[in-house]
Amino acid sequence: MPENQQDPRDSFEERLTTALRDTGDGFTADRAALVAGGQSRGRRARLRRRAGVLGGVAGIALVGVGGALLLPGGDGSVEEARTPAAAPAPSATPRPVPSYSGDDLLKELKGLLPDGRFSGEGARGTGPGLPPNAHLVYDDGDGPAAIGIGFDRVEPGSPEVRELTRCPDETLVAYDACSTSRLPDGSLLMLYQGYEYPDRRVDTKWWSAQLVTARGQHITLSEWNAAAEKDAPVSREDPPLTPAQLTEVVTAGVWRDVVDAIPENPKGLATASVDEAPPAVSGERIGALLTRLLPEDVEVVTEGGQEEEYAYAVVDDGEGRSLVQINVQPGMTDGLYGSAETLDDGTLVSTEQMPGEKGGAGVVMWTVDTLRPAPASLRVVVSAFNSGAQDRPATREAPALTLAELREIALSPEWDTLAAG
Amino acid sequence: MWQKRQGREDEYAEFATARAGHLYRSACLLTAGDTHLAEDLVQETLGRLYVRWGRMARVGNPAGYAQTVLTRAFLAHQRRLSSRERATDRFPDLPGAADGDAPLRLTLLDALSRLPAKDRAVVVLRYWEDRSVEETADVLNVSSAAVRTRCVRALGKLRGLLGEDLSEYARP
Repeated sequence: MPENQQDPRDSFEERLTTALRDTGDGFTADRAALVAGGQSRGRRARLRRRAGVLGGVAGIALVGVGGALLLPGGDGSVEEARTPAAAPAPSATPRPVPSYSGDDLLKELKGLLPDGRFSGEGARGTGPGLPPNAHLVYDDGDGPAAIGIGFDRVEPGSPEVRELTRCPDETLVAYDACSTSRLPDGSLLMLYQGYEYPDRRVDTKWWSAQLVTARGQHITLSEWNAAAEKDAPVSREDPPLTPAQLTEVVTAGVWRDVVDAIPENPKGLATASVDEAPPAVSGERIGALLTRLLPEDVEVVTEGGQEEEYAYAVVDDGEGRSLVQINVQPGMTDGLYGSAETLDDGTLVSTEQMPGEKGGAGVVMWTVDTLRPAPASLRVVVSAFNSGAQDRPATREAPALTLAELREIALSPEWDTLAAG
Repeated sequence: MWQKRQGREDEYAEFATARAGHLYRSACLLTAGDTHLAEDLVQETLGRLYVRWGRMARVGNPAGYAQTVLTRAFLAHQRRLSSRERATDRFPDLPGAADGDAPLRLTLLDALSRLPAKDRAVVVLRYWEDRSVEETADVLNVSSAAVRTRCVRALGKLRGLLGEDLSEYARP
């Protein structure tokens, strides 16, 4: 036995520690910007939490009081679909006030905005569950801009009211303007003109109006100078609505009726957490099941995957190779991207046909994305390509599996069994 | 009431300012040098701490808690990413990644980037944060055995990529 066999690893670990330290210390943080950004996100998260909405990591799912949106045509429709009772009040719970569907909210919002083109609409009505909101992309001719409105209640006269309508500390958050005023009817209105990223890493502007009435009706209207709050290019110098227009829209009487139509004590998702992921499903087992669920007319050429949550198979039906890949992820609470249909059991399904994302010439990617309802919140995403690899040129016109076949795979109950076991 | 809250805000700001630099460096290692993502994760972490600050003061060790939140935010981000941007960067293996040709030219960050996200988190927690196996297991919600397994595997891969003596790794 070689004499240094005794503990070669320890010394490697020591050197690794030193190397990590040297490398890590080479990064210099702009601490003030990080703290400002963190604080600003915290404030907004608190608003969302109050509204009974849980925000995702890194601002992925900002729905609720703060307004809005992630992707054009984003999650709103999903949320609405998830709350079937958003439609007129069911007879079991007669209500003295009308309820508002997501479409109602969108209609009202569009009616209050100046003429322009609308797209990327999404909304959730005043049913039980999460608080209502509506968002869309509005273009007055000068560039598309995300606009979102959200509703909830606060206790009149509580410290919360003041907190919601008090301008942030300028030493902590950089913004261009902010003012709070009391309206003749006793409402408090804060008009805020700031930035999506307080460190202004990207100059997306975020302007908002927070209205809290004397009765505690809380309405937040937000707008950006981009088609989405994050991950969309700045499309115009300023958001489309001036502070005066923001005021006009946010103070419209109909919104107060909307807040009144929110059922008392809506059960939020405030206790849900993305901090802790449930146990992951092994990639090997996913791959084995994927292979079993593939149509009979395709032959598996190669297969593989990651340790967890992901597997792929390259198949051939005689007309060329086609990569099929799958993600199986329990506990995904962020919803689906894009619009989705809701199945009877509450499962959301969306399909997508798009160019490949990794640069292979002529590569297309067909995807069926599914999300089982809570508590499993199991997400199964299956994609097929017209190539054996995304970054290689297309080998055939279409993927070897049809969207219907992909859908059948994604919706197989065997995934639920696999994830549960 | 207001004063109490203001006091908490100040306390939070003090803590956040003191820890932001370290969190950022941790995040840079976790993300293998993606500084934009690192900033995003740190802001997210500080944002969550802000929301929970009132309760945290009673918990003690907010620094450790912050690191846990950061690590989990990173892993959640990776998970979400894998739902959208799957595959080719990991499929099949990167050509030349482990062929032994010029592995010593790799920087430590390059090498970290070739570890699966959870393995990277284990390395950062164990060797940068100096957490024990058990503490690391708590952060990652896995068993100690799983941490050990990941650790051994990650060290093996790093050794292969960087060389035993680590003498030639380059700095960022």
